[in-house]
Amino acid sequence: MAGGADEVARQALAHADALYNFARWLARDAVEAEDLVQEAYARALAGAGQFQPGSNLKAWLFRILRNVFIDRRRRAQREAEYAEHVEADVESQEPAAGELKLAQIRALVAEDVTAAVQALPEPHRTVILLDVEGLTESEVAGVLGCAPGTVKSRLSRARAVLRDRLAAYRP
Amino acid sequence: MECRTARELNLDGLRGRLSPELAAQLGDHLSTCAACRNHAEAERVLNEVLDASLPQYAAPLALKRRLAASWPARADTAPAAAPGRSRARLFASVVAAAAAVTLFVSGATALLVEQRAGRTQLASETVNDHLRVLGGAPLAQVTGGLHEVKPWFGGKLDFAPAVQFPGNDDFPLQGGAVEPFLDRRAAVFVYKRRLHTASLFVVPREGLAFPANLHTQTVRGFSVALWSAGEQGYALVSDLNLPELLELQAKLAAP
Repeated sequence: MAGGADEVARQALAHADALYNFARWLARDAVEAEDLVQEAYARALAGAGQFQPGSNLKAWLFRILRNVFIDRRRRAQREAEYAEHVEADVESQEPAAGELKLAQIRALVAEDVTAAVQALPEPHRTVILLDVEGLTESEVAGVLGCAPGTVKSRLSRARAVLRDRLAAYRP
Repeated sequence: MECRTARELNLDGLRGRLSPELAAQLGDHLSTCAACRNHAEAERVLNEVLDASLPQYAAPLALKRRLAASWPARADTAPAAAPGRSRARLFASVVAAAAAVTLFVSGATALLVEQRAGRTQLASETVNDHLRVLGGAPLAQVTGGLHEVKPWFGGKLDFAPAVQFPGNDDFPLQGGAVEPFLDRRAAVFVYKRRLHTASLFVVPREGLAFPANLHTQTVRGFSVALWSAGEQGYALVSDLNLPELLELQAKLAAP
């Protein structure tokens, strides 16, 4: 455990940009994002001994930051709503109508993509952003506190929703 | 392989995360199923769009400094919560934390220097500030065009921004604003092009790496143009493609 605490002390601050980026997308507000990052680092230091040496420090910090965010938004209600909303229709997923409009999606610009991602519900934004960040499904599962298989289905559903939203934009 | 399984594997397949056996099975399925091929192509396009156009927000320097300032004190308390830790390990941990802070503060300082010295960093700052403008910075009224915007800056800036282009049908002027730009305040002129927004930041160039001649680059999907004239530096940014941005830049830089 001591090695884990040392690793946190030595390397955690190097992930400040990644954590702030994640916080900005979660909170959709610059000021709140700074608060989230500061509180996440405070919690990381307080719990540094729990970090497993050699595991993904960035993923561990992401998990703390998301917990901070969820705590602020009443975690229980949000996750219950999400589970009910998201898991219900994964089974019936079909290719989105928007998939026929790939050239149109490819022509979208940063403002459109930003708006589409920001409009996603938080759990969808989170899996999209952690995936873009390069975390594996197992690491994302660690952040979300769920099984890797659940991450796969959530990510698949979130990407389908995002494709639908992007297909609805007119460049 | 069933279509449902193929679609679950398409993303992993694009990222090379499948075993050779699964990749071969997926390939066989895609070669015979147009719907799943369409799905794989849609996944690939979405990856392209996210990689090219999803903005990445850098942590503000002030936040990094606050984090660094709070790090040693909190590092001192963290080992105390771990029972049984030896005094030597406590010392090593504090030393490590102190070293991290030193590196972090040095990095933050270096970042500031780089932001002022490098065009890439200058362009990145421009994109960040553009996103802040898009996020709802209040704009001055422009019913009277440039003649209303420029006097609005009076009292808000310690320089008079030299901008002559009043906008036209292709690039109507939307308004003006004053926004932080690195260590100074910038006059911001906001133009539109169809549904796109272009922000022009004008600042005193002293101490910043504005090039004498036009310099362009793409940052996180945004086109950025940097140049200078006289004592002022100009940073123009938009999600327009570069040729259209340069069309606006030519009008702004015209004497």
